[in-house]
Amino acid sequence: MQFVRLVVIGFVALSIVYFSVSLYSRSVRKERLEKEFDAHPPEGADEAMREAFIAEGMAEYNSSIRPKLIALVYVVPVVFFSIVTYVINAS
Amino acid sequence: MRKIKITLRILFLLIFATIAHYALPQHDVVRVVNTYQERQDLNDWTRMFWARPDDQSAELINRDVQFIQTVKRRTFLLGFIPREATEPMVYRNEDTGFSWPFYFKFDTANLQTEADDLRSTSETPKWAVMTHYGWRNEYISAFPNAIAIRPVDSPNVTIIPWFNIFFFICLAALLLFIRAMWRQFRERSVDPLLDAAGHRVDEVQADVAERKGRISRWLGTWRKKDNSRLPPE
Repeated sequence: MQFVRLVVIGFVALSIVYFSVSLYSRSVRKERLEKEFDAHPPEGADEAMREAFIAEGMAEYNSSIRPKLIALVYVVPVVFFSIVTYVINAS
Repeated sequence: MRKIKITLRILFLLIFATIAHYALPQHDVVRVVNTYQERQDLNDWTRMFWARPDDQSAELINRDVQFIQTVKRRTFLLGFIPREATEPMVYRNEDTGFSWPFYFKFDTANLQTEADDLRSTSETPKWAVMTHYGWRNEYISAFPNAIAIRPVDSPNVTIIPWFNIFFFICLAALLLFIRAMWRQFRERSVDPLLDAAGHRVDEVQADVAERKGRISRWLGTWRKKDNSRLPPE
């Protein structure tokens, strides 16, 4: 039961971390795309062009490996606590 | 306001330091004298200084606990400066299981065996390094919980607290990351909203000012004598 409680609470806590980090990562990427466009706007750039550029960059980001790496927030603690358990109990 | 802020910060730091001092592993140079097992009553507020090895132990009002009696080398400054002097130190030896603090210790019986194996007298001492967490307090019968024991050749060993170094580096990295996240959130989500709200306030104020201007202008038409409407003299 203690184990179940740890798993449930841990899952909820790590899910909060996962979503926060996802939002942060997307936000940073979007800001970078905006700045990239604003630094060197092409000839006759308008708001629609800017939005298209950002949308394309975000689609590229979504299909890249980076957002999938955020799932490591679930993996790393599990691995860490497994190692701790082994080190503490192995003589 | 600033004083309240500082006080709250110091209070928060103190609480954090207390919890960290209780829960993080520490190392003592000890000589095991004896081990014993004793029934402990657990039904008062000092319950929090005992572990919860499993689910049923949460409801028990007393149970047997294993102890390790040692003679410990005294230290200054949280164990960083060793001293020649010794003092008695008694550790409890309890499983922590899957509950706080998260040591995932299940090998209590093995640890008791290892401690028994290291028993020695002051004439022919066998020294060991005891890893533990928790506090010894004689008045409320609190004991630190032994986590691991390893024999050493001499009591003058240098102990590097690797886990604590790792822990505080990770904590610092985590705090910096949270700060970066918070700043990004403010810059991208909160500030635009505040700007919009500020704009709206500005607009309302401008509107009020304009209306006031209109009213005072209208009042002015009553107050001021408009000479142009008077017939020329």
